[in-house]
Amino acid sequence: MLKMHNIRKSFRTDTIETHALRDFSLEVKEGEFVSVTGPSGSGKTTFLNIAGLLEPSTDGQYLLDGEDVSNLNDRQRSHLRNEKIGFIFQGFNLIPDLNLFDNIDVPLRYRGFNAKERRKRIEKVLEQVGLSARARHLPAQLSGGQQQRIAIARALAGEPRFLLADEPTGNLDSLMARQVMELLEFVNEWGTTIVMVTHDPDLARRAQRNIQIVDGQVCDLRPVTEQSDAVSA
Amino acid sequence: MIIYYISLALRSLRSTPILSALMVAAIAVGVGAAMTVLTLNYMMSRNALQHKDNVLYAVQLDSWDPNKANDTANEIPWQLTYQDAQALLRSDIPTRQVAMHRFGFTVEREDSHLRPFVASARVTSRDFFALFDVPFLYGGTWDSAADQAHTQVVVLPKATNDRVFAGENSMGKSITLNGEPFTVVGVIDHWNPAPKVYDLTNSPFADAESLFVPFGLHRQFEIDTWGNDSGWDSGSKSEGYEGFLQSESVWIQYWVELRDGEQKQQYETFLTAYIQGEKAQGRFQRPLKFALSRPSEWLRLNKVLRNDNRVLGWVSLAFLLVCVINGVALLLAKFLRKAPEAGVRRALGASRSALFIQHLIESAAIGVIGGIAGIVVALVGIRTSRHLAMGWIDTVASMDWLMMLAAIGLALFASLLAGFYPAWRISHTNPAIYLKTQ
Repeated sequence: MLKMHNIRKSFRTDTIETHALRDFSLEVKEGEFVSVTGPSGSGKTTFLNIAGLLEPSTDGQYLLDGEDVSNLNDRQRSHLRNEKIGFIFQGFNLIPDLNLFDNIDVPLRYRGFNAKERRKRIEKVLEQVGLSARARHLPAQLSGGQQQRIAIARALAGEPRFLLADEPTGNLDSLMARQVMELLEFVNEWGTTIVMVTHDPDLARRAQRNIQIVDGQVCDLRPVTEQSDAVSA
Repeated sequence: MIIYYISLALRSLRSTPILSALMVAAIAVGVGAAMTVLTLNYMMSRNALQHKDNVLYAVQLDSWDPNKANDTANEIPWQLTYQDAQALLRSDIPTRQVAMHRFGFTVEREDSHLRPFVASARVTSRDFFALFDVPFLYGGTWDSAADQAHTQVVVLPKATNDRVFAGENSMGKSITLNGEPFTVVGVIDHWNPAPKVYDLTNSPFADAESLFVPFGLHRQFEIDTWGNDSGWDSGSKSEGYEGFLQSESVWIQYWVELRDGEQKQQYETFLTAYIQGEKAQGRFQRPLKFALSRPSEWLRLNKVLRNDNRVLGWVSLAFLLVCVINGVALLLAKFLRKAPEAGVRRALGASRSALFIQHLIESAAIGVIGGIAGIVVALVGIRTSRHLAMGWIDTVASMDWLMMLAAIGLALFASLLAGFYPAWRISHTNPAIYLKTQ
């Protein structure tokens, strides 16, 4: 599903060049649930941005679903992002002025679905996350857990094959976090590949595989069951 | 998607009402000021006789001082002497021709409660109405004898007929002008060319006259002119009214209708012969010179739209540019405040161009609203100008649909200009920054 080979990402100022990722190679198979851990500043978010086609890499090859995306232009990357990738963020990132229905509608608009198709998909995902009755509410009228469920619904509405989650439970209490995690596991069971960045070792252990990133490089690729205490941020 | 973007734009405007109002106000004031000036310039530069531009000609003869050229654009007096006008009227070459000038009468009606009032009048030969396509409500022009004999007939514009006869068909009724009875032979429908191409010497933007009387009345009423009667040979004017009529004073406007080039050539030959004949008798001592100007040329020669007005037009556009620059700053502030939302949209599949278009449409929405508000500002500005000009620009101080559409277009252009850079900036921000920190 995702294959990165010798990815390098560096940020340059007038005087200094910082390497966020270097010789970064990784493969995530279709249907996997992978957690990504590592200390702050290790390059987790940079990896996620490159994987989500939000930023291009400085060097290296990135294959998404078998397609080399390293040299695509902005329009092609946006199209691919819309069609194949779903995002879930720590801060939910719902658009505050739009009600829940319209928030979920955003990626579907960019996909070009007609009104009937969009409505069908929105109603379906709202039902899946158990918030159909709140469709016309604004995000501010929901709890954090509910907002994250809507964010997941929005990510799922386009039926992406690849879900990128950046600290999806970071702003939630333990009960809400567990509910969101169960929802992600449910989504994964239905075949969606998930890569989840987290600082929480317990959540990381619930993935099928954990990847540790240190100083912009992958340092542990073993399945979670073979890792002992290594899964700690 | 356009409809989606429009709905987002309106939602965005509602979410920041003060900032939105400031931007709309900036566009409205800029467009309003520009459109006030541009509308007046546009209305002033129109040609009310455009439809007859290839057949009508204003006639000028250089009968001026042999020692000094006349102070006009083509150095020929705008108007003719009475004796030249009478001579030209005798030609049968033009399809139609009209000699005329502005005057005024005291208007009364016997057996009526109407209070006497002074009204401007056009003393003219009968072809005036046909030559300038004046529409009649009742009756028509007088017969040709009235242009030579003293026939006391009058044609009333609708407004005068409404005032004197309460709008009824006044054909054959009597009206008293300067104490003498005149019979109404025609009532013309609403007609108010702007600019008043047929007489640019008397306030080209004032209303048309309130009465029309025959050209043959001069001697009976000793009619002079409510207009310019400058002359270079002051000696003859001292010989009474007849002396005035025979003097070198120029005070008669003269127009001819010539249907084609051949007829025009014949008329030019006629004018040449006439001037040569007058030269033989000691008049027209300057080099032989006359001019036949189409209405469009006539407007240009008379500088109806003055250079001051043109400069003012550019100044108003410069003011609009200042408003646009303010708009850039306000839009930049507004759009950058929404950068996190733009980041989310990028993550959800919006391309840079999609975000650019979305924000440009938001700018356009501000432009349309600003344009509508700008029309209101312009209408107030035009009304104020009209008030300040005290009747001198009445016929042009109005805004037609074309100029209203132009106001919207100008506002749209200004807002797109103002929104271009902010929209580009927001569409090129790195979404990752906002996704992590929102």
